[in-house]
Amino acid sequence: MKILYGWVRELVDLKLAAADAADRLTNAGVEVASVTALTPAGLAGVVVGEIEAIERELGESHGHRLLLCRVSTGRERFSVVSGAPNTKVGARAAFAPPGATLPGGRRVAAARIRGVESQGMLCSERELGLGEEHEAGLLLLEGDARLGQDLVAHLGLDDHVLEVEVTPNRPDCLSVLGVARELAALTGARLHAPRGKLAEAGEPAARLARVRVEAPDLCHRFTARVIGGVTVGPSPARLQARLRAVGLRPISNIVDVTNYVLWELGHPLHAFDYDTLTDATIVVRRAAKGERFTTLDGQERVLDDSMLVIADPKRAVGLAGVMGGAHTEVTDRTTRVLLESAWFDPVSIRRTSRALGLRTDAAYRFERGADIEALVDASARAAQLIRELAGGAVARGMVDVYPRRRKPVRVRLRMSRVKRVLGVTPAPALARRILAGLGLPARARGAVLDVTVPSFRRDLAMEDDLVEEIIRVWGYGKLPSTLPAGAVDVVKQPATLRQAETVRRALVGAGLAEAITHAFCDPARAALFRALGAAEPLTLKNPLAQDASVLRSHPLEGLLGAVSVNVRRQQPDVALFELCKTYEAARNETGAVEPRWAAIALAASRTARAWHTPDAPADVYDAKGLAEHVLAALGIGGLRPGAGRLGGFEPGCHGALENEAGAIVAEFGEVAAAVRDAYGIDVPVFGAAVALDVAAATPTPPLAYQPLPRFPAVQRDLAFVLGAEQALTAAEIEAALAREAGPLLRQVTLFDVFRFPDGRRSLAWRLTFQAEDRTLTDDEVNRVQERVTQRITAAFGIALRSA
Amino acid sequence: MGHPRVDAIAQEARAAVAAARTSAELEQIRVRVLGRQGALTQLLRSLGTLAPEERPQVGAAANDVKREIEALIDARLSAAQHAEREQRRARERLDLTLPGRRPPRGALHPLTRVHDEIVAIFAGLGFSVAEGPEIETDYHNFEALNIPRDHPARDMQDTLYLSESTLLRTHTSPVQIRAMLARKPPVRIIVPGRVFRRDVADQSHSPMFHQVEGLAVDRGITMGDLKGTLELFAREMFGPESRIRFRPSFFPFTEPSAEVDVLCFVCHGQGCRLCKQGGWLEILGSGMVHPRVLKNVGYDPEEVTGWAFGMGIERIAMLKYGIDDLRLFFDNDLRFLRQFA
Repeated sequence: MKILYGWVRELVDLKLAAADAADRLTNAGVEVASVTALTPAGLAGVVVGEIEAIERELGESHGHRLLLCRVSTGRERFSVVSGAPNTKVGARAAFAPPGATLPGGRRVAAARIRGVESQGMLCSERELGLGEEHEAGLLLLEGDARLGQDLVAHLGLDDHVLEVEVTPNRPDCLSVLGVARELAALTGARLHAPRGKLAEAGEPAARLARVRVEAPDLCHRFTARVIGGVTVGPSPARLQARLRAVGLRPISNIVDVTNYVLWELGHPLHAFDYDTLTDATIVVRRAAKGERFTTLDGQERVLDDSMLVIADPKRAVGLAGVMGGAHTEVTDRTTRVLLESAWFDPVSIRRTSRALGLRTDAAYRFERGADIEALVDASARAAQLIRELAGGAVARGMVDVYPRRRKPVRVRLRMSRVKRVLGVTPAPALARRILAGLGLPARARGAVLDVTVPSFRRDLAMEDDLVEEIIRVWGYGKLPSTLPAGAVDVVKQPATLRQAETVRRALVGAGLAEAITHAFCDPARAALFRALGAAEPLTLKNPLAQDASVLRSHPLEGLLGAVSVNVRRQQPDVALFELCKTYEAARNETGAVEPRWAAIALAASRTARAWHTPDAPADVYDAKGLAEHVLAALGIGGLRPGAGRLGGFEPGCHGALENEAGAIVAEFGEVAAAVRDAYGIDVPVFGAAVALDVAAATPTPPLAYQPLPRFPAVQRDLAFVLGAEQALTAAEIEAALAREAGPLLRQVTLFDVFRFPDGRRSLAWRLTFQAEDRTLTDDEVNRVQERVTQRITAAFGIALRSA
Repeated sequence: MGHPRVDAIAQEARAAVAAARTSAELEQIRVRVLGRQGALTQLLRSLGTLAPEERPQVGAAANDVKREIEALIDARLSAAQHAEREQRRARERLDLTLPGRRPPRGALHPLTRVHDEIVAIFAGLGFSVAEGPEIETDYHNFEALNIPRDHPARDMQDTLYLSESTLLRTHTSPVQIRAMLARKPPVRIIVPGRVFRRDVADQSHSPMFHQVEGLAVDRGITMGDLKGTLELFAREMFGPESRIRFRPSFFPFTEPSAEVDVLCFVCHGQGCRLCKQGGWLEILGSGMVHPRVLKNVGYDPEEVTGWAFGMGIERIAMLKYGIDDLRLFFDNDLRFLRQFA
């Protein structure tokens, strides 16, 4: 919210510079995001001038008549050419004499136009940097603007705008008065209400208008004043400048006054054209379901019965606390005004405003909680200003429907509580002074203060709220610096965290870079990842975008996006991993489970190309190996091959690793071409996903020392040739080898795979034999080797490869 | 002296060693003279054929010569080998400016680095990590934290919903609730985790980011303890010269609440581009746990007090590493990631 510092100073006697006041406010919790000088940079020397006479026409330029005018600044006269359509004799306007500078530092000098000398220029709003208006012509000032007065001073532009960011608990600070009150409390300066006294006349308002509140639960108070004989017209330039400075658009004197008072005192008001109201009667009621209503902005809205309307006996005339109606707004023809000042239920206003997408200044304040008592002052202040600016007479008194008066709120504050919460406390007398400064009178009873909370501080409901008020004003700098006392438990990090650290260390050590990707995904892509029969991904109710509307359902979903980014940015050699979650529907408290994964993606070269390393494209065994590497780092052995269950892999190039209990701990494979295409990746990508929750649940043998062998080992190589049509796997043969070789076998390693041109395959293993109690003899090993060879060739129908 | 046959062998061997040029030649001499079939060995083996009175004399002479020749060969051999190594090097001409064969080097994500650093600092202060689900109930994310439905405070955290009552958590604070419900005081935890807001990604917004929440609840915990703890954290994280400042703020689940700024470590408060001339950098929100929140988890606010803070890991990482665009963290461009290897 924009607040003019000069305006604040009308309500509090302050000597502080704007920047210092801003600091004080920020340090007390009313954050001032910026302080900006109101005067447009470079604007200087422009004064109030009067067009005394139009001497002659100089022809047309760009569709405008050029006029030679005589302009007076009271002391001097100037000959000035103006092309503005609103140039007329007797008007007072912004005038830049030679020597003045305009925004941007442009210096005004005498110039020849159509053969005559123009001594300076009459300026539009835009030329002065005060607004967008230009086509309408000159910035006109009131007839009584003091001739020759500096324009900046005349418009009150020698001021600063504070951009105040008020937290939702402090609606009382959403006004000039609120900020002034805060500054008064912080500095001890005196606060005073806006000057001026309301003069009332004629009939009492109660006889001119009736108010019936049919929904007292949503409207706790409704007041109405009537002002007759007004003349609607533009507001004075100075008031308009003030509204513009805080970001409001001047409309007419009546509407401008309601906005001015909204800004000054913080209470939203609404002015109706009295004569458009049927029977001069206001009915505050719930809308009918489906009721149609056209708001001030010309939009027709469909209401429902949770919304509150201001109505007359025939129709709705306002959307309570949100926006007025188009049919009863104040217009040029309005002569009598009914001024509403009321209090509405914050929740109802918030729901209505949200449901209709109407976020107005009024709704913003009502939904945070308006001041049910001060609305009377706001009404009086507005009535007085209307009378000053639009003439007319304010009817005596006001209609005030306030069935259940607010009960005084008292909160007990123990000084001992202050100390317990803060670790420090001011003396009770100082605490009382602080509270009094904030408008919170307190009575002391020993070390306990009985504090009365005024109607503008609805946020103060309990003791600790007052503790904050005290330290806020006393200064957070007064807090001591201590560390929590008391015994400290042994820090024990969760197993998931330790597991994640191990996995990260293993993969970073293997040369992969860690990625972090968004948990959202495009449903069309997610569909490509979905295995047959797998559940649909979880869908957001209010996604930001369609392509981010479902939650990750496959561990590689996010990572492939990262692969795509790198491939497109000329980083083809990708080796990335991510520790991520997928999200699945479940019948539990949150409606979901979140399995954790280590996802791995590889593309292009296995290693960076270098002089000593042949270019080696990554393949599926890299992906599998990394999954095995991760599992080994987690201490998980005894893995068995299995069939993968995840979607998104090429059918012929997709495998899994199972633990001894038969649960899948990892899957790996080549990413399906259709998936790659969807990501715009034009190179093969190999992926793996380690199911970290399954891994965590897999028992790992405790670390225990095995004695080192004392006798030499003997190695034998065996190679077998498999027929081209044999669907035999290395794992099957290897399992048989281990079984047949018996207890002397220490290690079996597949060290060569070769494919003959005719499709036959040769697989070669190195067997290492070793005994714990003796040196093995050649004969002994030969016997085992022969037995193994015989059994394997017979069992699988494969041949021993001759040397 | 010796024996003519011994002398002949010795003489010939000395000459051969003197003439040898390479280690290979020397080894050949060793074999020829001292080997199993060597001249000297043969002679020693034939001692039996000599007259008994000659035997000790010839035997002693032969052994002397054996030792002498062995020493001669060894002495020449090491010199020859040395020379040969040098020759080989000269021939090979190793270009040692060729790049070395490095193992591939991976990289932790910068957010992980900062996460680990924060976790380590607080572990040193007795804080254990607690975790919770990313899909949360409205109750844990809002209601229990004193943010009722239709409260304007919900505007501060525009939420992505999965159903009427479940959502993507907007902060790590619901884990406070879960942790306190699961145990009795004292509680000292930190909660790192992913959080979500309904924000379009731009330079300073992201629909997903990371927070770390801290929570200490016990008898006698004060806001002074919060300040002291965070001062210590700032010194560990940003260097021993770091200073922090508390500013009053509002969070529905703390009372009093404080926004915490750290003195800009680029300009030390003078004002620069990083701190937007303000001299201070906002790093976290904090406060004393609201009595209503304590009651919601069954704690007695008259018996225990507590504080909590929450900070954005991205924010800390951006400040620490000078990163100016939040989106970089989630683009995963390898040229970015590898800078943190």
